[in-house]
Amino acid sequence: MATPSLRGRLARLGNPRKPILKPNKPLILADHVGERRREKGEATCITEMSIMMACWKQNEFRDEACKKEIRDFFDCASRAEAARKMRSIQEDLGELGSLPPKKLNKLLQRFPNKPHVS
Amino acid sequence: MAAPTVKVARGWWGLAFGVRRAVLRLPGLTLVRWSRYGPEYQDPQIDKEYYRKPLAQLTEEETYERELRKTQVIKAAPATKTSSVFEDPMISKFTNMMMKGGNKVLARSLMTQTLEAVKRKQFEKYHAASAEEQATIERNPYTIFHQALKNCEPVIGLVPILKGGHFYQVPVPLADRRRRFLAMKWMIAECREKKPRRMLMPEKLSQELLEAFYSRGPVIKRKHDMHKMAEANRALAHYRWW
Repeated sequence: MATPSLRGRLARLGNPRKPILKPNKPLILADHVGERRREKGEATCITEMSIMMACWKQNEFRDEACKKEIRDFFDCASRAEAARKMRSIQEDLGELGSLPPKKLNKLLQRFPNKPHVS
Repeated sequence: MAAPTVKVARGWWGLAFGVRRAVLRLPGLTLVRWSRYGPEYQDPQIDKEYYRKPLAQLTEEETYERELRKTQVIKAAPATKTSSVFEDPMISKFTNMMMKGGNKVLARSLMTQTLEAVKRKQFEKYHAASAEEQATIERNPYTIFHQALKNCEPVIGLVPILKGGHFYQVPVPLADRRRRFLAMKWMIAECREKKPRRMLMPEKLSQELLEAFYSRGPVIKRKHDMHKMAEANRALAHYRWW
């Protein structure tokens, strides 16, 4: 669908009718795009942590008695860390189809919008 | 900390920390407080085993890496990092943390005296013990040091998270380096604060290290307190978002 028309929508001296649109900023393309909304993450390794804490409760917080649970907790933590790193690298590398916002902004900085005719 | 001072040839002041990269290598701009090495400088390879590997046994990536390093500029190795057999990165880190005001000579001498004190105590015990007990007594001060700090490492940490205007202590898994750092910090803090007035640091440190080696003593208690708090706050674990 084509862009809706802007003819006669704004309050201007030459426009006899009431304004249809009242934009609070000038309708000019900026040299940057908005940032991607950060996804709400959730806590990782909760189950391993609760198993480990149950073991601690039974064995009065001695570490020698809970070695297996502690090892599982550490493994889970390192796996979660690796996954997080992969995800951040993926985001920097590329969104599906388009560039990430930071790279897009750099590109637009190099080729800014020209509001004037030079 | 305040914004780092940057000696500037032009009168360009008030740069934010994040702008450092844009400002970094301009003519007429001298960085005073940070590293003077450019980004092209590689870290030195101290490890002797890396160079002892026979050329025939190297994989393709390793040969490529070796060839690449021949063309790269390399930073000078710091004076504290040697390729000696006696070099121990954990002991160096602990010495640096004990150091005050840049007095590395004093910190290193305290460290060596501590290890000597540990060894002496263990030898006394060894000579006073019967044959069966002698097999169980550990006399190498380095193994005692490593095992003691390993026993002091917390498994889970607490992080203050702001939610609904209040800070809650949320249990969080810690990275390996953070755990080692906490163990060393607790050990040093304990020895500095709870030391009797006329007792010297090596003696107190050796005492604490030996107690931590046997999993008793105040540093282990502090670790257990951290674990107990984490266990008490386990319901708040969902406040994490990572």
